[in-house]
Amino acid sequence: MQKYIRNIYRGVWTVLVGMRVTIRQFFEPEVTHQYPYEHDYEKKRNVREIPKGYRGQLYNRIEDCIGCKKCEMICPVDCIMITGTKLPKGEQLWDSMNVVHFKDGREVIGIIEGSEKVKPGESFTVTNITSRQGPQVVADRFEASGATSRTQTFSSDEVSRIVTRNKVVFYLGQFDIDMSLCMYCGLCTEVCPTECLTMKDSLEGVEYSTFDRTELIFRFDKQEMYGKDEAEDAAAAG
Amino acid sequence: MPDILSQGFFAQDSAGGNWAEEFVRNVIIPRLPEEAAAHFPVEFGMVLVMLGCAGLFAAVVPLLPLVLVLAERKVAARFQNRTGPMRVGPWGLLQTLADGVKLLFKEDYIPPQGDKLLFLLAPYVIFACSFAVFAAIPFGQNILVSNFNIGIFYIMAISSVIVMGVIMAGWSSNSKWSLLGSLRSAAQIVSYEIPLGLSILTVVMLVESLSMEAIVANQSGGISDWLIFRTPFTFFAFFIFFISSIAEVNRTPFDLPEAESEIVAGFHTEYSGMRFALFFIAEYANMFAVSAIAVTLFLGGWEGILPELAVFGGGFDILGGLPGFVMKTMGLVFLMMWLRWTLPRLRVDQLMNLCWKYFIPIAFFNILGTGIWGLIFPEDTPLSTGISIAIISIGLVQAYVFVGRSLGQKSQAQPSSA
Repeated sequence: MQKYIRNIYRGVWTVLVGMRVTIRQFFEPEVTHQYPYEHDYEKKRNVREIPKGYRGQLYNRIEDCIGCKKCEMICPVDCIMITGTKLPKGEQLWDSMNVVHFKDGREVIGIIEGSEKVKPGESFTVTNITSRQGPQVVADRFEASGATSRTQTFSSDEVSRIVTRNKVVFYLGQFDIDMSLCMYCGLCTEVCPTECLTMKDSLEGVEYSTFDRTELIFRFDKQEMYGKDEAEDAAAAG
Repeated sequence: MPDILSQGFFAQDSAGGNWAEEFVRNVIIPRLPEEAAAHFPVEFGMVLVMLGCAGLFAAVVPLLPLVLVLAERKVAARFQNRTGPMRVGPWGLLQTLADGVKLLFKEDYIPPQGDKLLFLLAPYVIFACSFAVFAAIPFGQNILVSNFNIGIFYIMAISSVIVMGVIMAGWSSNSKWSLLGSLRSAAQIVSYEIPLGLSILTVVMLVESLSMEAIVANQSGGISDWLIFRTPFTFFAFFIFFISSIAEVNRTPFDLPEAESEIVAGFHTEYSGMRFALFFIAEYANMFAVSAIAVTLFLGGWEGILPELAVFGGGFDILGGLPGFVMKTMGLVFLMMWLRWTLPRLRVDQLMNLCWKYFIPIAFFNILGTGIWGLIFPEDTPLSTGISIAIISIGLVQAYVFVGRSLGQKSQAQPSSA
């Protein structure tokens, strides 16, 4: 009889212990990602470290690109599309041009006044900041740079990198990479003479998911880099 | 506009008057133009009113499983740190609707070697029985389809017919999984009807009526008047009733009839499309029904925690206590889901052991105890309720101490023996 009652007590007690365990889980936060809308690396959970040298998403630093089309030629799957226009002999867009990258990701395209060697702790002035041109993306990029007029002064503390290009005599109208075709062989990055075409080893390039396949075509051309309207103005004046 | 609820729109007059006729005479005819009122056929109006009520009932009650299925999936997801369905509609609220539409378009497959008539009939038997139960459940003051004087007996009788449908489905499918599932179900339901019925008896003994309305009316004095606290024996009877009813509706840990890991889906393995959906809806309707019955019998029905107030507070009285009733019922439904994600499935012998060796003797003991209690306290007084609550709380504390000690000894003893 004692065993019988103890059985009942133990049965009830163990059920209650189990119920306490489950109700604790009930109030834990969920671990689900709403996948196509939410990515692992955005939630910074359950993400493995990406090794150095990982062949991820292709990225082209377009201001260094010379439009040699070597990558386009070597690509085994023809996923790179480049349209380069060479200007007639004797003409050039800029004598010299700078792309200023800021630490917070902004970038400004223009001509740095005076010496291009910007010393730390000083401010510098960028003139001829290019106007809005090309697709809306470019316009957004221009607005995001915070540049509101053609000439602006920045502090050199904010700058992460300044790229200088001399004698701009050609014009890259298109530099598209279709990542849905890419086989991640990395041949294009090896042939690139200026090392401007690289593969990301950051979390961003690890996986893509879109609802539209055309979103996987990455467009790297920056129309404003060539200051197209100024070239036209110059041509009209000349 | 007279208050339709207070006029007994749903409820049969307790004196036995015909509520439909009264409704036609008092509400419809005064609103008609004079000439039409003079020639208005009362019998025809009565039929229309009855059909309207039946239509309302038939439209609202099947929506319950839609809500419950979604709730089950969401609660299950929470217990597993998931989010559950999220894509169809905001927060996945329309998921069940989408699933229902999908099931509608599925092929209605009938096993060629099976018994066709029984196969077609089984889902309807189960569906009809589980919805017939709702006819006697008082959802609120006067929100009741029919106030039988044998309400709880009717519910027991109707819900027992469900097992017929289960056996029909299992036999006619010509599948060993179905047959095994239905036989398990039959054994389980027949066994667990006994403690279920015996627990109901304790309530009936105290209330001295089988009518659901009378049972609720007996608990109208706030939480201390709820039958679960009225005697120590009904306190235990409530738990026996609740656990037995989980077994009645084939839910984990008593889901042997449809154990996925053992017999695919049990008695409805061979069903597809809308017939499967009927089983599914009936299952969740049953779940709500048994919770509603438990609330009605033990937890005060639509009466509130405090006396004088119809529900948990003022302001809800306009709905005749319906919100309070639904909240209490949903609480029990949540408890069922909680248990489902806590406990593993019982073995067949454990299932029978629990029923025959534990529940039935305790249920008999409860009946005996309730009878003696009724002799000692013929009238329900604050004194008797106080003594009852004191006994319950002392018992629980004693149990806690006892179990803590015995389990502690056990855990200390284990390493030395090993």
